[in-house]
Amino acid sequence: MKRVLALALLVGVGATIWVGFGAASGKKAARASATSSVTISNEQGTTWTCGFNPFNPSVQFLSFGTEYEELVYVNGLKSGATTNWLASGYAWSNGNKTLTFTIRSGLKWSDGKPFSADDVLFTFKLLKAHPGLDLNASWSVLKGVSKNGNKVVFNFKTSAVPYFYYIASQTPIVAKHIWSTIKNPVTYKDSHPVGTGPFKMSSCSPQVIKYTKNSSYWQKGLPKLDTVYYPAFTSNDPANQQLASGKAQWGSQFIPNIKAYYLSKSSDNHYWFPPLVNVSIFINLKDPILSNVAVRKAMAYAIDRSRVSKIGEYGYEPPSNQTGIVTPTFNSWLDQGLAKKITYNPAKAISILEKAGFKKSGGVFQTPSGKPLSFRIINIGGYSDWVASVQVIQQQLKAVGIKITPENLSSTTFDSDTYNGKFQLAYNGNESGGPAPYYELRQLLYSKNSAPIGKAASSNWERYSNPAVDKLIDQYGATTDAAKQHAIVAKLEAVMVNEVPVIPITEGVDWYQYNTKSLTGWVTQSDPFAKPAAYEHPDWGVMLLHLKSK
Amino acid sequence: MRFVLRRLGFFVVTLWAAITLNFLIPRLMPGNAALAMMSRYKGRVNPEALHALEIAFGINTHQSLAGAYFTYLGNIARGHFGISLTFFPDAVSHQVLQALPWTLGLVGLTTVLAFLLGTLIGLVSAWRRGGVLDGVLPPIFVITSAFPYFWLALLSIWLFSIKLGWFPESGGYDVTSTVAWSWTFVGDVVRHSILPALTILITSIGGWILTMRNNTISVLAEDYVRMARAKGLKPWRIMWTYAGRNAILPNLTGFAMSLGFVVSGAILVEFVFNYPGVGWMFLQSVENQDYALMQALFLLLTVTVLVAILVADGATAVLDPRTRDRS
Repeated sequence: MKRVLALALLVGVGATIWVGFGAASGKKAARASATSSVTISNEQGTTWTCGFNPFNPSVQFLSFGTEYEELVYVNGLKSGATTNWLASGYAWSNGNKTLTFTIRSGLKWSDGKPFSADDVLFTFKLLKAHPGLDLNASWSVLKGVSKNGNKVVFNFKTSAVPYFYYIASQTPIVAKHIWSTIKNPVTYKDSHPVGTGPFKMSSCSPQVIKYTKNSSYWQKGLPKLDTVYYPAFTSNDPANQQLASGKAQWGSQFIPNIKAYYLSKSSDNHYWFPPLVNVSIFINLKDPILSNVAVRKAMAYAIDRSRVSKIGEYGYEPPSNQTGIVTPTFNSWLDQGLAKKITYNPAKAISILEKAGFKKSGGVFQTPSGKPLSFRIINIGGYSDWVASVQVIQQQLKAVGIKITPENLSSTTFDSDTYNGKFQLAYNGNESGGPAPYYELRQLLYSKNSAPIGKAASSNWERYSNPAVDKLIDQYGATTDAAKQHAIVAKLEAVMVNEVPVIPITEGVDWYQYNTKSLTGWVTQSDPFAKPAAYEHPDWGVMLLHLKSK
Repeated sequence: MRFVLRRLGFFVVTLWAAITLNFLIPRLMPGNAALAMMSRYKGRVNPEALHALEIAFGINTHQSLAGAYFTYLGNIARGHFGISLTFFPDAVSHQVLQALPWTLGLVGLTTVLAFLLGTLIGLVSAWRRGGVLDGVLPPIFVITSAFPYFWLALLSIWLFSIKLGWFPESGGYDVTSTVAWSWTFVGDVVRHSILPALTILITSIGGWILTMRNNTISVLAEDYVRMARAKGLKPWRIMWTYAGRNAILPNLTGFAMSLGFVVSGAILVEFVFNYPGVGWMFLQSVENQDYALMQALFLLLTVTVLVAILVADGATAVLDPRTRDRS
């Protein structure tokens, strides 16, 4: 018996080692013969459905940019610099109420049928007929769309300059001859997307999507890559390992201690985390104590943002400033004077509270009517960096006499509570932002993005409402004049500093790692031609067009 | 006969209770699916789009709870589990069927292997109590089964795939390989499954060894074993047919139950190894308020566990007359 067991064990171990070594040598051979390809490592917490409907928010990033394309590309890292894409030009007229695109001719869909202005017109009519597809709410400002030869004309209800970004750059154009036959485009899976883009989806399984180059792509000589592999990762560690081992070259990952874990593994490994939107403390302005601006200001002075950034975020996400302008990405919009107005100053925080009539009792300030400044702050328990950040903030606020109690919730409960206004303080960075600071400020301050407590607000979760600010936001929408836009944004910055409706803490970044061993053409800090994270759409398509093997 | 009927009746009642709880519990959770979808879209979805999405998802349609319950029962009877919100707009059944083979293959096989190996080792080490085998294997595996799975898995990845490079560190197969019924692909799948399988085996085998060893030791003290020895039967025959057969009985029910739980996947395994399967699907469905997927998975789990228990009850009754009804 013993002998048999021992033999079985030996055979087992032998087989294991053989298979293992076989794997290693097999992989080496595969790598040597590889054509130019890139493998992406971007943990999405899900396997692929193999659906590519570009209007489905959960899979849009897998087809918009590679298969489906936009009219004009807008670069969010260069304050909205535009590149004509499916449109060869555009113009505003009629007091910025009419937007006309000239559509390129001679392009073909990947099934060989010709592309034309009809498809563009059809796409926007489709959005109107099915509000479930109109994720950017284009039809809340559009009056009508019409076609005139190779021109497509958008008429707006009011001047809507900022909507250019959504219509030109965030709406994928689909083929009329295909989508007009689909009964319910909202629930349409789109397993075999037909687009105008540089890549075609060639195979898909729940674990990996393979894209191959569209050899008849309209931009001559592009793309230079043959294949793109997009594996699905349900958790962060395996995705990070693929990057560290060099099996994946393009990462969009949070990697703890990136120097030791990633940079040290190869001199070809690089990263850049461009900041895009603020992660802020949202303050429920309907709360009787928090509606007092002195309390909010005191908190803004009491928080050492650079310390939060260093301890909570490994320094990856730089500290914010109270104006709400993300730096250095949007430096040209920043009012330096305003940005310096509220900086870390605990003594000032205490004096503000004392001046407003608050008195300390047992280390915690109390309102004149005797209520302690003690608040609960909700947070997403799964985001370990946010949890750490809030702990740092908790200590800093305690030092001046404000007590906050973190409540780490599941993301669904957290979202439900923030949207419905069921919180006192919320630590949140879920705004989508945009190609200029205006977009985030609008999301934060526009009263139309708010809702009564108990109803879901789309982005103004703190429930800020001020007709004068709404007017400013509307005025911005009516002008294409950069100087005027800057003046308006400066006024909005002043609102952020004087009224403190939210407290920006750190700047949320695009996670981006890249390996230069076999590929060049990556986005770098000195050449930010697209947002570099693989989940940014349609930006990732732009990145893929730049990549080529060395 | 009465025994069978009573067992079946018990099965049906438990099944009904499980199905009903399955319907109720998800509905007691806060939040809703469209909100979860909205947060994934970072607040950019406008209220009209949200409303349209809600209609597309079939939520907030103001159906009464009782009405929804009967629709649900009807759908289950016909095998309709609806559309998954996590994998919108894919059907739940399609997604589950896609993930299930991976789980059955990995967790199912390792559960059977762990049981067989554990029982064998337990039996042999009890038979040769105090021997070399008994002194080494049971203590080792009891210790390894006390390891936190997460830690052991990460350690084995670090050692075997990162340092030594013997095995791939994650996934069900290599991203560059083509999915087909070919030797290369099957080999690839096997290579990817070895590390997760070994870690599951190492952490789960200890329990079986310990129980089997203890059962055997108490059985060995029975009179019929002494009788067998006195008759001069060959030792291996005593070990297998006298000691082993009786000692394994209590373990059978445990084995059946663990087989039933196979379909719940192994969340930690799938998490650490990025292995495709239904375990993380459970987690996803709960996080995304995906009632349809959640219900299908919980139903699958409860039904398989109940069936497994039923089968185990039957098997025990056949093997051990003492457990049958007195009547």
